[in-house]
This record gives sequence, C-alpha cells and structure tokens, in this order.
Amino acid sequence: MSVPFSQMVTVATYVLRQKRRRRTRYPLVLMLEPLFRCNLACAGCGKIQYPAHVLKRHLTVDQCLRAVEECGAPMVSIPGGEPLMYPEIGPLVEALVARKKYVYLCTNAILLKEKLQEGLFTPSKYLSFSVHMDGLRQDHDDAVCREGVFDEAVEGIREALRRGFRVTTNTTLFDNASPMSMQMFFDEMMDLGVEGMMLSPGYSYAKAPDQEHFLRRQKTHELFSKMLSNPKRRWKFNQSPLFLQFLMGKQDFECTPWGNPTYNMFGWQRPCYLLQEGYAATFQELLDTTPWERYGRASGNEKCQDCMVHCGHEPTAVNHTFSSWRGFRDTVVATITGKP
Amino acid sequence: MTSPAPDEAADERPLEGWCPHPSEVPLPEIVDQAFDYRGDVTVLRRGADPIVGYVYNRETGGPAPFLQMFQASDGAALTVPYAEIHTIHFTGRDPAAGKSYEAWLRRKAAGAGV
Ligand code: SF4
Ligand code: SF4
Repeated sequence: MSVPFSQMVTVATYVLRQKRRRRTRYPLVLMLEPLFRCNLACAGCGKIQYPAHVLKRHLTVDQCLRAVEECGAPMVSIPGGEPLMYPEIGPLVEALVARKKYVYLCTNAILLKEKLQEGLFTPSKYLSFSVHMDGLRQDHDDAVCREGVFDEAVEGIREALRRGFRVTTNTTLFDNASPMSMQMFFDEMMDLGVEGMMLSPGYSYAKAPDQEHFLRRQKTHELFSKMLSNPKRRWKFNQSPLFLQFLMGKQDFECTPWGNPTYNMFGWQRPCYLLQEGYAATFQELLDTTPWERYGRASGNEKCQDCMVHCGHEPTAVNHTFSSWRGFRDTVVATITGKP
Repeated sequence: MTSPAPDEAADERPLEGWCPHPSEVPLPEIVDQAFDYRGDVTVLRRGADPIVGYVYNRETGGPAPFLQMFQASDGAALTVPYAEIHTIHFTGRDPAAGKSYEAWLRRKAAGAGV
C-alpha cells in the first residue's frame, strides 16, 4: 500500500470513531461531481450523456462545501465530468485542503500541465491528482476513444510530480484487458514515479453507450488473480489490500453504497455512484429514505449481481479491517508483504 | 468525424422520438422512462404550456408524486406534479447514440478524425 501514514491514521481514527458511536452506515469518501462536462467521450462512461444545457451547468463552490460539511467524510473524490474544466476548481480544492480533507482530483490529465503552469494548485499532503489511465498507450487511447491522450496524460503526470504534487492513477478494467499488458502498465506507472495505483472493474452503466465490454464476476476474479497473484514489490496500490483480495476472489464482501455517497447538481444520488435511481435533497434524507435492502448482491437486484466496483465495495473492505482481528491481521499482512 | 450508418445509430437510440399515449402506457411508467432517458423530453401538461427539458428526478411515493426537471430554455429547476401531466414525448436527441466502443472502432478503422 502506498497511502501516506497521516492519511491512514486519519481514516483509522475516523472509522473507529464511527464504530464507537455504533453508526452502521457512515460515509468514507464523498464523490463530489461539480459538473458533467468532459473533454473526452469514453464509450464506457455513464457520466457525461446529457443535453447541452445540463452539461453547461455546474455546482457552486458553496454548494460543494455544504455537501462536504453535511456528509462529514474524511476523503473527497472529485470525479466528473472533467474537474479541471470546472471554473472554480482552484478555490474548491483550496477550501477542501483548508478543511483537512484528503482530496482525490480524478482527471484525464489533458489539461493538467496547463492548469499547473497557471499556478492553480499548491502541493499538499491533502491533495492528490488521480489520473485516469486505463492501460498502456494503445489500450488507454482505445478506452478513451481518442488517439494521443495517453501521451498527454503522461506529460501532465510528469509536470505534477516535478512540482511536488502527489499523483496516483485510476484504472478501470474491461473484459478486453490482458493481464500481461496490465503488468507492463504497472511497471510503466511506477517508472513514471506515481505514488500508487487504483484499480477497479468497470460497471455496466445504463447510460453508457458501450454495454458490451464490462467484466462479469468470474472473469473479474480470473483477471485480477492473474494480474496480482505474484505482484512485484515495487507495484504500489493506493487502495485497501482487502479490496484487491475481493477482486481476486479471496474475500467476499457485500456492497455498502452509503460508504461513497455521490453529490451532484441533481442532489444526493440513490443508491450509489453508479446507479441513478433518484435523488435526495439532503445527506440525512439519503441515509434515512433509501431502501438500502434492495441493493448489493445479496438483495438479488440484478443490477448489483456482477458489480465489484470500488465505490460500493472498498468502504466494506475498510470497514472489515476495523471490525475484527482477522480483518486487521489480513490488512497488516498484505500491507507488509505487498501481496494482496 | 464520420457518423455511423443510420441503421447502426438507430439501434442505439431506442427511446428517441417515442410519443406514448397515456391510454396505452400508464403515466408513472412514462415518467420512469423519461427519468431514465439521456436526452431532453417535452412534458405535455393539462391546460398549460408544454415544458421542454431534462427530467433528473421523480418522487413516486407520497400523496402527490412529482418529477423534477431542468428547463432547456433558461435552465430553471422545475417541479411538476404527476397530476398536471398529460403525457411526455421523447423529443430530444439521445446524447449517447453512436458513441459505443464499436462505433469508435468503426471510426478508427475508417481513419476518421477521432
Ligand atoms: S470516463 Fe472520465 S474522461 Fe472519460 S468521458 Fe467519462 S468523465 Fe470524461
Ligand atoms: S452493488 Fe452497490 S455499487 Fe454496485 S451497483 Fe449495486 S448498489 Fe451500486
């Protein structure tokens, strides 16, 4: 694992506090979507298919900060759309860092170099650029449906690292992923000098144009087992080792969708980052009125049967770490040995 | 950018142009489809002007179900009770149509600017 120690302590303290208060449903990472606009149109993306007048809208910084306060999660992930196209991204990040939130700014990095050169951000242990990288050059360009994006992203990563920023990568894997290419990709990312990598299987969004290439559960286990059963020590993953074990089929976790609640211009999204089954006006309303029993694999909901996506299952893995000695031991062993 | 052949694109926009009649499809079902739809719709109201916009939420529970939408002309956020709705027409373009992975591969193979 490559998460900085201070972040681990913050998360551990937060989770233990929730447990002491006997809160069964608590948020870990707020998924804050200030806009849906993007400068790419990846076929597997379910986030950007809206009419032009919706794509032109965005949240205000005040709306974002109200959501952050309401929810109280120690980490804030800013996906989108492309957050670097959000006109208030600099002030928003500054305000989040001032509140000591660990921020993951999820970007395709096309604009990263330019924004860094404009001096929009200041390096901080609270801020990490999480760069969308779906594999080696050709695999990535195919995944984002545009040639040349991989090279632009690499340039952005280099610039961010040169300026002293934390940089991680986030990779979504589809059924055409090859374990060997992915292992080469891990080497390449570590050579670049990123702090760590985040992996997740893709989810078959009802609103994504491409419905054909998502991984099913068994295939996910096979792919992740092949990729990670003999990991190099230099590969660092910026995520719970138990979540990686879950992807490999070594752990069985249920979804806890309230762990990564999503806020955007429509409100608090029910039930999770992936499904759009309605919106609540407040975070408390989301917690109190979402029929949670209808979601997750055990519910029988067919939309959840093959889902192994991080936003539903990584909070479960983190919760598991602090729920039993076994969970804690598994996490410590995986962290020390570097073997998920 | 090359457009996909019309038949291929049509396969990818099943709801575009749908004008259901409330005597054939129950209104709550029409609203659900509008909520799932990726493009703008036209909400035809009883005794009032139609509204064109994007339906982003609906509340079916409670004594007075309603939908919420952003009006296309001025971006206003509107709440429309089901009781005021006659039907909904799926008039806007489906923004995901023609953007599948296969469509990208076709464009790439054709050497089109991508
Ligand atoms: S996956 Fe990310 S980069 Fe690709 S279109 Fe969606 S928001 Fe943009
Ligand atoms: S399993 Fe969880 S994260 Fe996945 S679709 Fe269902 S509710 Fe959402």
